Amino acid sequence: MILWEIFKMSVGALKVNRLRAFLTLLGVIIGVSSVITIISALEGLSQSIRDELNQLGPSTFIVNRIGMPMSEEEFFKALKRRPLKYEYADAILDGCKDCEKTAVESTTRGEIKYRNKKLRRARLEGITSSYIDIINTEIAQGRFHTIDEDHTRSRVALIGSTIQEELFSGIDPIGKAIKINNIKYRVIGIAKKQGATFDEDADKVVKIPHSAFVKDFVSRRFGMAIYVKAKSVELLPDAMDQARVVLRAYRHVPYNKDDDFGIITADAIMAIINDVTRYIRFGLIGVSSIALVVGGIIIMNIMMVSVTERTREIGIRKSVGARQKDVLLQFLYESLLLSLGGGIIGIAIGVILGDVLINLIKMDMTPSIFAIAVGLAISTGTGLFFGIYPAMKAARMQPVKALSYE
Amino acid sequence: MMLINTMELWKTFEMGTVQVHALQGVTISIEKGEYVAIMGPSGSGKSTLMNLIGCLDTPTDGEYYLNSKLVSTMTDDELAHIRNKEIGFVFQVFNLLPRATALHNVELPLVYSGKSRSQRETMAKRALQQVDLADRMSHRPSELSGGQRQRVAIARALVNEPSLILADEPTGNLDSKTSLEIMDLLARLHRSGNTIIVVTHDQEVASFAERIFYIRDGRIEKEKRISKSDQVTSEPSQ
Repeated sequence: MILWEIFKMSVGALKVNRLRAFLTLLGVIIGVSSVITIISALEGLSQSIRDELNQLGPSTFIVNRIGMPMSEEEFFKALKRRPLKYEYADAILDGCKDCEKTAVESTTRGEIKYRNKKLRRARLEGITSSYIDIINTEIAQGRFHTIDEDHTRSRVALIGSTIQEELFSGIDPIGKAIKINNIKYRVIGIAKKQGATFDEDADKVVKIPHSAFVKDFVSRRFGMAIYVKAKSVELLPDAMDQARVVLRAYRHVPYNKDDDFGIITADAIMAIINDVTRYIRFGLIGVSSIALVVGGIIIMNIMMVSVTERTREIGIRKSVGARQKDVLLQFLYESLLLSLGGGIIGIAIGVILGDVLINLIKMDMTPSIFAIAVGLAISTGTGLFFGIYPAMKAARMQPVKALSYE
Repeated sequence: MMLINTMELWKTFEMGTVQVHALQGVTISIEKGEYVAIMGPSGSGKSTLMNLIGCLDTPTDGEYYLNSKLVSTMTDDELAHIRNKEIGFVFQVFNLLPRATALHNVELPLVYSGKSRSQRETMAKRALQQVDLADRMSHRPSELSGGQRQRVAIARALVNEPSLILADEPTGNLDSKTSLEIMDLLARLHRSGNTIIVVTHDQEVASFAERIFYIRDGRIEKEKRISKSDQVTSEPSQ
């Protein structure tokens, strides 16, 4: 009963000076909204990476030249390695008894043209037909190239949805001829929209048979990865060991030297991503907590001013029987209301900003309950922490002195 | 029945290195239902005495019994409880909350005694009726005249049915006609059974009381009982 009445007093006091209340909120708004933005954006980011990695099954690993260098030094060392050869894929299949399937993916960038429209720097992927059995590729329309088309170096292409939207507005692309770096290819299918990770648009892509890629584009700078699927998740470590042995033999790596190729699993990638986002999160949250501390200090400052301004009011309340606790609560409610108000506005702004940010880097995102809870918790904490001193100052005033304050 | 008993009340203030003895052994007794004035020039210690009697402050030495309860050693929150239940203050500068309506100002003591909303409203309205302000309930202090403000303050002092109404220079900020109205209102409240203590330096204001304590240099100098014939009780001529 009394608590509710005192709460209403606090609301009333804040209403009197709305502009001041709002300005007081700003610090907390900025602090909370930046924390929320960061948390939402990072959650969206790691979610989209997770989605992408999920396409790679749990029993699949990737062989490439660079691997996952853990330092700049390792990275530059890895750059000096000899390139992989696509023949390794068959060699692994032969020499690794726990491997079920292999696929080769070679990538470069190229210009895609349809009639007078063109798209530059599209991702060009040459992949073997077994790719679709390893990497979960959803097809919206048409089909993927067959093993025969791979063997006969057919110039057929599966295009991403961005290519379809940019070059074929209102036209059915299936069967149409596009030019990839001025070489004619026939569209046989459209891949389902995937969204983007970082600034890379995963739908601005053309997938063609690996044999055709080798014939038409292999002279260009390109990256190659061999996808290997183990017979089961349990056999993955064995399969990786066997594949290593095969590759070391093929590349004549002496027994006392390290691998000159890299092996990557989805788990390993995820572990690194988690590590990185954790550091980013702590770093950025650390920076935005400075804004929160500043916000808290602003609240404290304003509450000190308010307590002084209302000394006589405090005296009046005490003279009619307000206890220390009643006065304490009245001012504590005020600072809590200020910081929670700032927190709620900050959360709203943070969610919106996070969404905008996510859209800028083209990822899907859902507002995070975790982020909202964090926002509410830190703003409440700020209000309590920075409000307790002014409220105590008010509560401990001597009634006689407070009443005679001019 | 005795309402107030003070024994050798001392109040000493530290002013830097100097000790100022505002009260130097004040012993007074006031009965329930009395109308008492405390008079003295400024600096005599009368406000200090009022603060002690009103439980706004505690004495440096001596004992103070209110309603046979020893209040001179109570904690801040116990004193707040006494102020809430037993004492109604009327101040020279009214001391109303400027942003609250008359009704809400009068309700304030009831909020702190935990009365329900409907109880508060009933009691506050009754108190405002007692001071003839029933028609000004929703006005804020700034929309009221000085006399009306003081009547709101008196209603606030009355509302919790205290043992004692303590008025500190209640007419100090009012013109003579309005002063008379306020003093008459206090006299009326006294006749209906309230105990009233008025602190003043104004002989005319004091003359409404039944008994006057004269205080000088922190001591009770003399005490004067006013005969019924000298006491001002008549309604002011309209």
